Amino acid sequence: MIRIHTQYQSRFREITGIPGETFELEQPLVSELAWKIAGKYGDRMESLLIDRETNELNERGTMYVDSKGRRVYMEDRLTDGETIAFLIGIAGG
Amino acid sequence: MMESRLLRVNLTTGEMRAETLPHALFERWVGGSGINNWLMWEHFLEHDIHCDPRSPDNVFVFGVGPLAGTGSGSGVKGRITFKSPSYGIFGDSAAGGKFPYMVRFAGFDHIVVTGRAPRPVYLYICDGNAVLCDASHLWGRSTGETHALLQQELGDYPSHTHTLTIGVSGENLVGMAGVISDASRIHARGGGGCVMGSKNLKAIAVQGSGGIKVHNPQGMLKWSADFRRRIDANEAIYGFKRRGTLGAVEMYQHIGSHFWRNNQGCLFRGDEVRSDNWVRKYHKYSEVCSADCFIACDGRYKLDGSESPKAAKYAGESFRRPEYLTTASAAGALDVRDWAEVAHWGKLTNEYGMDNQDLSCSISFLMELKEKDLISDRDVAELFGRSQRLEWGNMEDIEACIHDMATRSNLFAELFNDGPYWGALRYSQRKGQNFMKYATYGKGGASFTEEMRPFPTWMNNMAVASRGADHLKGIGLIEKFQRRDLSKRYFNGRTEAADLTIPDLKGASTALIENQVALINSYGVCLFHWMLDPAGFAPEEYYQPAFTEVTGIARTPEELMRDGERICNLEKAFNSRLGLRREHDTICERWMYEPTTEGMYPGSVAANMFEPVLDEYYEWRGWDRTTGLQRRDRMEALGLGDVADVLAAEGALARE
Repeated sequence: MIRIHTQYQSRFREITGIPGETFELEQPLVSELAWKIAGKYGDRMESLLIDRETNELNERGTMYVDSKGRRVYMEDRLTDGETIAFLIGIAGG
Repeated sequence: MMESRLLRVNLTTGEMRAETLPHALFERWVGGSGINNWLMWEHFLEHDIHCDPRSPDNVFVFGVGPLAGTGSGSGVKGRITFKSPSYGIFGDSAAGGKFPYMVRFAGFDHIVVTGRAPRPVYLYICDGNAVLCDASHLWGRSTGETHALLQQELGDYPSHTHTLTIGVSGENLVGMAGVISDASRIHARGGGGCVMGSKNLKAIAVQGSGGIKVHNPQGMLKWSADFRRRIDANEAIYGFKRRGTLGAVEMYQHIGSHFWRNNQGCLFRGDEVRSDNWVRKYHKYSEVCSADCFIACDGRYKLDGSESPKAAKYAGESFRRPEYLTTASAAGALDVRDWAEVAHWGKLTNEYGMDNQDLSCSISFLMELKEKDLISDRDVAELFGRSQRLEWGNMEDIEACIHDMATRSNLFAELFNDGPYWGALRYSQRKGQNFMKYATYGKGGASFTEEMRPFPTWMNNMAVASRGADHLKGIGLIEKFQRRDLSKRYFNGRTEAADLTIPDLKGASTALIENQVALINSYGVCLFHWMLDPAGFAPEEYYQPAFTEVTGIARTPEELMRDGERICNLEKAFNSRLGLRREHDTICERWMYEPTTEGMYPGSVAANMFEPVLDEYYEWRGWDRTTGLQRRDRMEALGLGDVADVLAAEGALARE
């Protein structure tokens, strides 16, 4: 069992209603974290987070990074105490 | 057959002529920016390309693409194209809103303006007719006042009046002057407002009640319905509708991609401005930028004075919501920490009609010199003609600087009106000291107010973009968002383009995205419809049916990508004729050698990967790595043999 912290920004925070939280995972995998979040917050979160065609993390208009700024993928392993930020990927203007 | 009309206006003689653009032009250049580029290229086959951009020999082209205003729902962008007075190279700039499609409704897709009017005029176009009108009553007016007066003067028949105007800065030939669309959206980059000012052209006003001919309306509507469905199903876009590009503030704060205090740092300071307060406290009205946009991300604020400690000063002020780069230039470059002041900065620079990136980087350069005691109070007084604190975040100081620049009223404005590079160079020469390590700029001396050192594709883009350092020519999304899926898709299953830590495929990504952006800009639609990726990112695939339904031109995605490459190569050829070579594809010292000290990627410098990435870029482009010049074989493969002939005659083509 490991503990993973999450940070939610913009649209993610609107859906969750909180800036972040902590999850306990049986398996140290991003996929378990993603499905737990999707399960907790429903269809809108699932649609934002997961590409339903591939069951991979949705890369379109979103970005999920670890504490070193690396994008994480479903198959990635997580270490106890890691923080994953859920961001909307917009650039420029 | 694509039917399209061009209006030619010679301001010196007052002669105006309408022409039908041949279908073949769309086959070769797609439309929008592609055709604008060609019209400018043709102009400079007959006029001296080395002319002073502020002289009557320069040309000002406005154009809109074939998808614009057709009901595609993909937004509408108008584009202006000219030789840049601030950077002396290829110049162009886009803006959205209602003006672009109204030009089409008024009967034209492109307008070419040459010469110089003997006195201030505005061009009025209404349902296929054009006339030059006296603008002496508009001269000296802000962009907002000019727009309102023209609306009052021309009325609401046969349609609302929509305008393209310059402010006081354009009249005063300030190099960083932009052109304002409907008083709120700016064609900011490169100095298009200065070109209009040099021609004594205060505004273009249009009214139109005509329609737009579409090759296959049913097919277009079918495509449009599918696009709508994709947008409505996209949760990321749902959030973007309220935040617009300000959605980048939180993300950039998280990864460290802001441009703070002349890029000495990469994170905003101050809880107010780095928060999502914009959406909660300031966003009062949503607006539709264009009637032909399914996203409608635009917004308006109206300050009641209670929003923040500084808001009371601006109580009652209302304007368009700042874009990210408006925010980056104030909250970032100048360290303004109050949203109300950031919003006011955006309004003021729009009213004067100026590029707020070049302006903020010019001011922040001097603020840093002052902070480091490299210039004295006496030096500041010499620059501004008064004593001024010139301190970070001081909005009174900053507001005075905006006014100085627009009115070109002191030494600061004389030295810096072409942006931070030329300003820093002129000031260094004047003082007999080298201050260039504090100037932030890329190609052509253009500024850009985002942190880029951790992102090798962005750095390369800043060095090679045809209109001078700028993200909107080849925005490095695969890398910044670490899109492994796109890297695999475009590079035969390879993932390196999404890996920030290595140079591989970064030059290739720049070339790829430049081609895609050229396509989007030539379709005449909004880049954010592509960037937010409701339809799989590939403009050559998803937009291909829409392009065909509108124009009747059958194209494969591969052919469209080649069209994009052709458009990029013409912009490159323009700059090659002006003498630009590999050594001009570069960036400032700070970005190249000074490591980032904060954010998620500390210790980043461009120099670590700059040369290999640039080499790879030339390789993917098929250009000569030593000189940076184009090669005849690649030009001919793109159907640009005629352009290669011009380059060869001027010694601007790579030797075989």
